[in-house]
This record gives sequence, structure tokens and C-alpha cells, in this order.
Amino acid sequence: MRFLTPLAFWFALALPAVVVFYLLKRKRVTRVVPSTLLWQRFLAETQASAPMQRLRHNWLLLLQLLLLLLLVLALARPYFAGKAGLGQMQVVVLDASASMQATDETPSRFERARKDALALVDALAVGKGGQMVVLVAGANAEVRQSATSEKASLRRALEGARVTDSPTRLAEALRVAETLIRDRPDAEIHLFSDGAIPELAEFETRDLRLVYHKVGKGARNAGIVAFDVKPNPEDPAKRALFLSVANHRSESVDARIELAFDGQLIETKAVMLEATNTTPVVFIASQARDGVYTARLVAEDDLAADNQASVVSLMPQPVRVLLVSRGNRFLEKALAAAGVNVELSLAADHSSADAGRHDVVVLDDVVPSEWPRGNVLAIHVAPTNWFEAPIGEIESPPIVNWRNTHPLLRFVSFDSVQIAKAQQVKSPAWGVSLVDAPQSPLVIAGEMGRQRVVWVGFDTLESTWPLRISFPIFLANVVDWLNPATAKAEQFLVKSGDAFRLPLAAPVTSGSVTGPDGKVQTVTLAPEASEFVWSDTGRQGIYRVQLGTNQLAFAANLLDAAESNIRPRETLDLGRFTQVKATTEKDANLEYWRWFALAGLAVMLGEWWWFHRRTA
Amino acid sequence: MFPGTRVERSDLVEGATMAGILTPQVLRRLEQFQLIAARRAKSSAKGERRSRARGQSVEFADHRNYVLGDDLRYLDWNLFGRLDRLFLKLYEEERELPVRIFLDASESMLFGTPSKFDFARQVAAAIGYVALCGFDRVSVHVFPDLTAQKEADLTQYNAQLAIRGALRSVRGKKSSLEYFTNLTGLRGGGVADFNGAMKRGVLESRQAGVAVVLSDFLDPAGYEPGLMALVGRGFQVNAIQILSPEELDPSAFGDLRLVDSETGSLQEVTFGKYRLAAYRQTVANYVQRLREFCQGRGANFFSCSSGESIEDLLLRQLRSAEMWG
Repeated sequence: MRFLTPLAFWFALALPAVVVFYLLKRKRVTRVVPSTLLWQRFLAETQASAPMQRLRHNWLLLLQLLLLLLLVLALARPYFAGKAGLGQMQVVVLDASASMQATDETPSRFERARKDALALVDALAVGKGGQMVVLVAGANAEVRQSATSEKASLRRALEGARVTDSPTRLAEALRVAETLIRDRPDAEIHLFSDGAIPELAEFETRDLRLVYHKVGKGARNAGIVAFDVKPNPEDPAKRALFLSVANHRSESVDARIELAFDGQLIETKAVMLEATNTTPVVFIASQARDGVYTARLVAEDDLAADNQASVVSLMPQPVRVLLVSRGNRFLEKALAAAGVNVELSLAADHSSADAGRHDVVVLDDVVPSEWPRGNVLAIHVAPTNWFEAPIGEIESPPIVNWRNTHPLLRFVSFDSVQIAKAQQVKSPAWGVSLVDAPQSPLVIAGEMGRQRVVWVGFDTLESTWPLRISFPIFLANVVDWLNPATAKAEQFLVKSGDAFRLPLAAPVTSGSVTGPDGKVQTVTLAPEASEFVWSDTGRQGIYRVQLGTNQLAFAANLLDAAESNIRPRETLDLGRFTQVKATTEKDANLEYWRWFALAGLAVMLGEWWWFHRRTA
Repeated sequence: MFPGTRVERSDLVEGATMAGILTPQVLRRLEQFQLIAARRAKSSAKGERRSRARGQSVEFADHRNYVLGDDLRYLDWNLFGRLDRLFLKLYEEERELPVRIFLDASESMLFGTPSKFDFARQVAAAIGYVALCGFDRVSVHVFPDLTAQKEADLTQYNAQLAIRGALRSVRGKKSSLEYFTNLTGLRGGGVADFNGAMKRGVLESRQAGVAVVLSDFLDPAGYEPGLMALVGRGFQVNAIQILSPEELDPSAFGDLRLVDSETGSLQEVTFGKYRLAAYRQTVANYVQRLREFCQGRGANFFSCSSGESIEDLLLRQLRSAEMWG
């Protein structure tokens, strides 16, 4: 038996009050006796041994206490966990994301959710044709048990579920669940989660029959939410490691951050994590070879999964940039200064002989005879397969907007840039517009296949941009963004639960992956495969991949601020206007307060009868 | 013995019956008894009790040498015949035994059916009658003292004062009718100071004798100093505790506010049948303590309920306890 409004048990404080009333306010019959001496002796002899003697055998008091108890029980609205009231079709969605590992519930949120879900299985009305589906939403939604009435199978499915280190991806699971309950008015989705779910807006208007079983109590957690490695701008021989540590508690925490390179501790920093804030931490480390940096946050909290993050750091390689131009001093100088490792070469045309020899090709107002396969910065060139509509021209377009959150426009401003002429295109599907004029996008960045493209729709020499400070900064950003090494570094850093992809230069038939737990899994690839994909990244940590003779490592990290914030949500927001409140049980038909209230009435009548019998 | 006393006996019995104190049968039985005094009487007045004093009686006590001037009537001629020397025969002087009855007439004694005071009066009448029949002097000390609270009570007060004065010294069987009437006329009430009354009685008495204390011994100040004073003065103490049946076995249950009839003090008690045994134990403890106190000091002790049969107490219990025989 459980209670819908356990707060009503505060009324139970009235129980001692009744006893106190009985002790204080008793209606006494006055009698004259010869002497109270014997009575005093009697009380002195008996009272010491039994302080509550006064209340013994007081049936009225007992009845009143019983009445009060029944009323309090009725007010607390007792119910039995949904025996018959469950719908015919139950879809159990078990959140297996990293935040469910939090130990604020004993032993953990996930175990608690599993227990609740098992209780739901027990309550399944098999006799009435009740069925249940078990979905586990970790890195991706997994149907652990399709619709069945077999309680043993359902139990096995739930008991076999494992919690992961991945962020919450509930949308996919809910989409699956929704298809299962569609056209079944008696079906319900039971979501067991802590509510740390970023985006469910797509279900706003779906009228989802969702019962949200909340687990979790506290928000005692601090975690690493960002980790990145960059060349140190002041000293090219060293590496700079940037960390963001979020503290979601309401009090400050003293913590220690340990940085290790390939498992060897190289530095420790003590930091004070401000309450409900994110603290940046920077490490400078010299690096002599490719390797993996691991940062570990040492602090007492309930969630261990986000206290560690790893990043693969490769030795910096020179960036080979080819500038195909008819002569542009501004561009040439800006590119040469774009980075410490830039090897700039100049050409008038890009031919097939140049293919694959450069990391970045810059096309400045030149249509090459052979289009480069690598990453391209295209200035005032527009191949027809990039844009759908015919390309027009506009005169002196004003710059009305630019997207300065994009890494390409970091520290770049177009405040006093005037442009004489620009190409007019429509925004393509492969990229996003970074700088806008009212008629047309002026700068577009995107990816086509595995090729990164930055497109500038005007000739820089026909604008005032090269004279502005923002121009060299933009080019430095472009070189950094187009550098394949950057893309490669990002490739080696996946979110736990996401797939790791590696293009294969040469065909490989077999390989093996060693997970963070030391388990080795062998893989067989098809001979024609051009890409290696590994999706079993549910545990965070370093995965070592052996492909033929190649050895490499990649890191799977949680690095998710929403997941680190383990404060359980009382409501689930489906978009802006729909909310699902945390519930314990939905069906009210199984409540028993009426019976308690009836029993209370009976006791009250009995008390009345007894009182009159006694005083009659 | 005077012939006249026999003639008046039927009147006496009638008088006692009229006074409603004792039945004629009981009185007749009581006439056969005599108070047993463990000690020799010390009174100066003549009576029927053996005493240490030498004087005139039929009981031979001793011889002594004749000295000039002795009454020749008491010479032992037989001894003179055998020894040729003059000896005087000495006889025990018979003295009276002062019997002091301390009668508790406080408010608390007025409870019970029959009331404890009535019961105590009956006992006092019986003891007094036995003593009077034995030519002993009876004096009844009624406590507490009278107080005239109102003018209207004055006649009543004076009448009570007269009765108490008359009871102070009663002698001779002839006086027993008046004795009974006076006892019947006594009115109780007031707050008793048990110890004070005992001490004053001790001071007032010229000779120690038999002391009979009739009380419920429920004085908040205790009974020990009073009894100790009696014993210390040399009285042969007979303590008779009279409790009402209600006190021994209360019949009022529930939440009670008890008012002390004498002091007016309040005591709140929640009482139920389930605690009756404990209460009885309390009473038994109290009585036992009193009994041990008395026995430890050579005093006789009886405890009785005012609901008991008075004949049984008088004719059997007191006799077997050798208060009289």
C-alpha cells in the first residue's frame, strides 16, 4: 500500500494531541472522602511504577485515536500500486543515460527506476490481456522486449538493461513508443527517468499518453562539461588544454583536477567551484608525441560518470595552403600569418597535378581547371553544382546580420565593411549562411560529403574588408576550420553513445577494439568498406582500435552540461506549452480512502454509543 | 459488692439499650469480663486491683518485724507461737485502675455505615462498662476540642461541653447509665490533632493505667509521637483502628476528585477495578506499619472495619487478644 498524499500524515500529529487532551482535561467526579491520606499513599506507591496508568482501559480514548488514525489514513489517500487499473498496453521506457547513475537514490537512480518498473510488471493484468513493451533509452533506443504478457520475459528484459554513460536521447525512444501506442486508446507510456531531457518539443502536439515516474532526489554533482586541446598560441611547442567544470550544487565546492597524459599524472590543480556556475580551467602542457590527455575531477558528488574526460591530442602538423589567385596581396599576407604552421604556396590555377597535395585550397576569383577534392575557401567563385538557382548579381549589398557564434566568425565583426558588388544566391542545403545581406547570403560555410567549404560571395578587393582587422582574423579562423587535422581531432572525440567513424584509406578486412573496460572485440569488415564505424561507445573512456597494422585511439566522453545537472525535474516539458507532471500512479480507482472513511464513520458511531452507554 | 448494684442492673441494661449503644445480651456477657492490666495499679484511690502498695485486703503479701505502735490486730500469732517472735502480716492494698479512653470524634470518623464514630462509641461503651463493672475509673478524652464557631451553636456547644466534662471521670457501675447516655449524646466534627490530643492526655493523667485509643489513625501528621508519649508515660496502650468499609474497599471508580473531609485538600485520582488490588495492598501496608509500630512498643493493636459485627469484636477478638478476660 502506498499513499498519494503522504503529506497528510502530518495530521497524525493530532494523535498525541488527543492523548494530551485526555491527560490534561479530564472530567472528574468530586467526592468527599474521610481522608485522602490512604489515596496519597496509594498514588505514591503505584504511580511511580506506571506513568501512563491514567490512560489504561480508556475505551473512549482508544476509539477516538482509532477514528483519527482512520481519518488520517483516508486523507493520505492510500492506494495499491495499480493492480487492475493499468491500460491494456504498457510501454515502459527506462532512461539509461549517464545521470541515472547518480547515487542519490540507493543504490542508484537506475536501480530505483528498474525496481519501480518491475513493480509495474508485477501489476500487469495479464488476465485482462495486458501487454507490455520494454524500451531502454541509452545512447539509442533499444527495444529490449516487444509486446508480451510474459512477466518472466519482461522481468528478464528489465533486469538485463544496463545504464550507459551517454546523454539522454529520449526523443528516439518516445518516437518508437508512440508508434506502439498509436490507435490504442488504453495504451500508455511509462517513462522512468530523472527528467534531464533536453528537447522533446516534437511531441508538443501529439497528445502523448505519458506517465512520468520521477526518480532522483538531489543535485549534488559537479562535472566536466567541456574539454579541448589546442596548440598553445604563445608557445608552439606546448599544448593548451581547456576545461569547463560545472557545479550544480547550491554551495561552492573545493575540488582537485588531475591531468594525465597516456595514464601518467602530469599536473594537479586545486579549484574552487562556485555554486551553480561553470568554472574554466586551463592547463599548459608540453607534448612530444601523439597521445591521450585525461582530466579527472576529484570531488565528492553523486555522479561519477562526468568526473572524467579524455581527449586525443595529435602532434601539430604543418598546414599546406595553396592560394590560387591572380594576385591579391592582402589575402596572401593574411594567409601567411594565419597560423604558426602554415606552409603557403601560390599558383595561378589548380590542376589535377595538385590534387591531394594540399590541405586547404583557396580559390580567389579563379575558376580552376580541376576542382580540388580537399577543403576549399572559394572567394567570388560559384560552381553551378553548389547552388540551385542561377546566380545573379547585386550592387552594394548592406550587411545586416552575421552569425558570430560560429567558430569561423569568432572575434570577427562586419561593422564597417562595405561591399561594392556581390553574387546573389539562395541558401543551399549543405551549409549555413554566416553573413547576410537582405537579398542574399554573403558568406556560407558547410560540408559536402567530407569536403568542408567556405564560400565568400564577393571579391574582397571590391570591398573595404581587407582593410579591417576582422579580415586576417577571419582567414585564421578559416584555415583552422578547414585544416583536416582539426576535423580529424574532432573525429577522435565522440560523445559516449555516438558512433565513431573513420574513413579507410586502404581496404581492411579485420580489426579489434579495446574498450575502456579492457574488453577486446574483434570486427570483420567487408573488403569494399570505405569507412570503419564503431557504435558501441556506451561507456566513456578511451577506445583503442587496431585496424590491420594501424593503431589509433579515440575518446568517448559525456561532456554534457544538461546531463551533469542531475537535479530531478518535477515536470517534463514537451515544447513550450505541454507539460507532463511527475506522477506516482495515474489510476485513482484503486484508492482505498473511502473504506477508511467508512470505517472512521463506523468507529465514530461506536464511540457515540459507548459514550452514551457509559454516561446513561 | 453492694446489694444495690444487682437491683439496678436491669435498669442499666435498659438504659444502654435505650441509648442504642449495646444490646442487653452483650452487656450481660461483658459483665463477666475484667480488663487485664499487665502492670500493678498505681492509683492512689482504693479499688479492686492489686497494687504494690501494702494495705488492707485479704491478699497476703509479706511479713515484717513488729515495731512499737503497730496495730496488734495484724500480728501473726501462729508465727509467734512457733518462733516466739512478733511478726506483722502485711496485705496487698487493692487500688483502682484508671482507664483512659481516647475517642477520635473528628470529621473523618463520621463516615461509613454504620459510621466509624458510632462504632468507636460502641467499643468505648463496652470497654467503659467492663471497667466500671470492675470498679475502675473511666475517663474519656474526646478529641478534637470543641470550637464554637457561631452564636447559634452556643447552647449546643455548652451541652457538648457538659457531656465531655461528665465523661472525664466516671466511676462505679451505677454511673454506667449516665456514661452510656453521655456517649450517645456526643457529636463529632472538626479537625483532629491526634498527637496533640495524646500528649495532652498524658500530661493530664496523674497515674498511668490502661489507655485505649479509638481512632482511624489517618492523621496526615502521623500517629507515632502521640502513641510514643502514651507508652513513654507508662500506659498500657490498646490501639484500636476503625476503618469504614468504603475505605477498605472503595466502590467509586473513574476519574475522581477526592476532597478530604477534614483538611479539605484535593486529590485527583483515576481509579478502576483493575487497581483495586493495588489499593488494598496500600491499606494493608498502612495497617501493617501501624501494627508493627504498636507491637514494637508493647502495645496491643486491633484493626477493624466499622461494618463488622461489634459482638464479634468485643466478645471474641478483644478477649483472645487478652485485653480482657
